[in-house]
Amino acid sequence: MDFSIRAANVEDCKDIARMIVELAEYEKMTEHVKITQRDLEQDGFSKNPFFHGIVAEVPEQLRTKDGHTKIGYALYFYSYSSWAGRAVYMEDLYVMPEFRGKGIGKALMSKVAQLGLAAGCNQLNFTVLDWNQSSRDFYMSQGCSDITTSMGYHCMRCEGEALQHLAQP
Amino acid sequence: MNFKIRPAIKEDCKEISRMIMELAVYENMPDQVKITHEELERDGFCESPFFECLVAEVPEEHKSKEGFTVVGYALYFYTYSTWKGPSIFLEDLYVMPEFRGNGIGKGLLCKVAEVGKKKQCVRLQLSVLDWNTPSRDFYAAKGAQDLTVSEGWHAIRFDGQSLDNLANEAAKI
Repeated sequence: MDFSIRAANVEDCKDIARMIVELAEYEKMTEHVKITQRDLEQDGFSKNPFFHGIVAEVPEQLRTKDGHTKIGYALYFYSYSSWAGRAVYMEDLYVMPEFRGKGIGKALMSKVAQLGLAAGCNQLNFTVLDWNQSSRDFYMSQGCSDITTSMGYHCMRCEGEALQHLAQP
Repeated sequence: MNFKIRPAIKEDCKEISRMIMELAVYENMPDQVKITHEELERDGFCESPFFECLVAEVPEEHKSKEGFTVVGYALYFYTYSTWKGPSIFLEDLYVMPEFRGNGIGKGLLCKVAEVGKKKQCVRLQLSVLDWNTPSRDFYAAKGAQDLTVSEGWHAIRFDGQSLDNLANEAAKI
């Protein structure tokens, strides 16, 4: 299939917001999405962006029945390992269902890896849900490690009231 | 115990590097530490730093037996949740063993949360090893949820050869 991968620009935020909701639906967590198109525009395209994005596009003749040509995205940011140094974290990787199986997901992830290496990163990190077997199989086939299984790392989070309480001076 | 928490300066990187190694020894993985104070200086104190760091300092009269007054640190960076917005990831939190039990760890954690709040961060995230019960209890007591247990999230990593191989695929696009 004919597709291209390019850096996201501010005009892509509408489609990225749409696909963020689609991904959340797939992960059975739609009610968790509070971010809007406007938030993405402000947070991703200001002087000190919180994230970077890449989008996968198909030509007009392959557009979806709703008319979309932007059919996949990856959202990432730079992070740090106190052991390995510069790292890149891939927050989201998504391809619309009808465009899967064509190498688009792999192309997006490879691009993030390439950009990370160019920036001097030594790790590409992300998370996946344990029941998401198709994604887990995909990632494992690309040669990654599940460091929760192999090393025992657990992902922890503080938010809402607990975080407010911690943040009190 | 009298201590203060302040933002790290470039000159603290040697101490932070020392403590990174102490933490790695505690986590049974000292051979995993590949960076030195030089990378910390370059990456934490440049135009667009990859991380920020707070250090905990005690007065001279309380220095450690080897003579250190910088006795703890918290290293963190900003992240983004596509569901909730700006967040903070606490990469390391460490207090030298002889200084534990004095509220320094809690002080560092709270200070990171306060920094995050000022930047409108809605989440503070971190990872902890499953066998590290004192740390798991510490974070649970502060209201942290274990998302691996409650929601099934697994941490995945590409590094070394697997990362090179993946990046090489991009040239074929």
